[in-house]
Amino acid sequence: MPRLLSFAVFLATWWIASLLAGDAKLPPPPTVLTAMIAEARSGALFVNLGVTLGRVALAFTLAMTLGAAIGYLMGRVRLADRLGDPWLILLLNLPALVVIVLAYIWAGLTEVAAIVAIAINKLPTAVVTLREGARALDAALDEMATAFALPRWRTFRHVILPQLAPYIAAAARSGLSLVWKIVLVAELLGRPNGVGFEIGVAFQLFDIPLLLAYSLSFAAVVLVIETLLVQPFEARLSRWRPRAA
Amino acid sequence: MRLEVDIASKTFKNAAGEQHDVISGVAFALDAGEVGVFVGPSGCGKSTMMRILAGLDRDFQGRVSRPAGARIGMVFQEPRLLPWRSVEENVRLVAPLADEAKLSALFEILELNAHRNHFPGELSLGLARRVALARAFAIEPDFLILDEPLASLDDALAARLRDQIAMLVDGRSVLTLLVTHDVDDAVRLGDRLFLLSPRPARVLADLPVRTPRSARGNAEIAAIKSDIMRRINDDLVERDAS
Repeated sequence: MPRLLSFAVFLATWWIASLLAGDAKLPPPPTVLTAMIAEARSGALFVNLGVTLGRVALAFTLAMTLGAAIGYLMGRVRLADRLGDPWLILLLNLPALVVIVLAYIWAGLTEVAAIVAIAINKLPTAVVTLREGARALDAALDEMATAFALPRWRTFRHVILPQLAPYIAAAARSGLSLVWKIVLVAELLGRPNGVGFEIGVAFQLFDIPLLLAYSLSFAAVVLVIETLLVQPFEARLSRWRPRAA
Repeated sequence: MRLEVDIASKTFKNAAGEQHDVISGVAFALDAGEVGVFVGPSGCGKSTMMRILAGLDRDFQGRVSRPAGARIGMVFQEPRLLPWRSVEENVRLVAPLADEAKLSALFEILELNAHRNHFPGELSLGLARRVALARAFAIEPDFLILDEPLASLDDALAARLRDQIAMLVDGRSVLTLLVTHDVDDAVRLGDRLFLLSPRPARVLADLPVRTPRSARGNAEIAAIKSDIMRRINDDLVERDAS
């Protein structure tokens, strides 16, 4: 219920703003809805959303897997931390645009280049978060596992992984939002389809209803994924914690 | 199954880089079925010693020979349960092969049946300690290490848990080490009592108790206790003199 209310407030604000600013700059909700329906009828909306989602999924999985492994290693092994730290700082501060442009120059305007470039942008934040998680592991529980001679896999699955879970969830949450943003830039610069490409087209034609239609559909997809996937996953991970009053 | 221990010394560096001696000469041997109890003041290095004997700390001077392949059950000073696993899962995690009947019996003895599906965060300290005991016994250890399992429990509960430990230890032939600063617990549970000096720890006395646990009368217990107190005081006097 509070969610619906906040959505209604959003729509009302938008409508009032469009009355104040004029149709040309900010079309009111019905105009955008019409554009959205037109795109949906032709099928272009779903194709573009699907393509973008596919890129997000691939880049996100790639970055999370690699980032988690590297971060865990850097948190547990001092030497790995020392060796990896300068690279990490470099990657953290490298602008997304530089990575994307270089990837397109070196690997051509290809799907692989786009996905790798997006993944590289997300990778360092996953590493940093997981490294923090690995550093915070409870040595007392490690000792318990050693004393009881728990096999490595059981220790990892039941002792280590649950301790890392909040960090993985945090990395996933921040990483997903980062990937959502960067994927559009990569599409705008060098892909012939996807939400980012369509927004680029709408920008060149100054077609604001189309621009907003794609942006909002995209935002809706993000919201649905957050509500249906990310939040239930987080809730499941923390079900053992005593609930806050 | 025999444990032979000869720790010449154990030192560690603190954060400031200063060296501290924790143990300065502890040697003893124990056989299966015996309960060795270590009595000493707080902070004398008992827990450090248990970590060495459990094989968790290999950085010391001396020799510890544990039989190869001995299953170790350990109760740490804090329960050290996995907060994200239920009571039963915590026990089953270390003892995946334990059958239901044995687990039930164990939970029955430790009065944990009602708490099987609770998470450790929902338990009182006394209950959490019992879960830690259940975990250590569930693997049917050859070598059991109990580090202050009764600390900070109220007297009535501590007495009940002590009886439960005695029952479990007598139930199977297991080499048991118990650390305590409570002389009463020591005398009621131990077959061999090792008195430890303040840090750096060394063995002041090695007292065997020959009467079986269940047959120890109050008079005998009082006599052993006063003997222990006398020896501890003698050591203090000696220290003051030197």
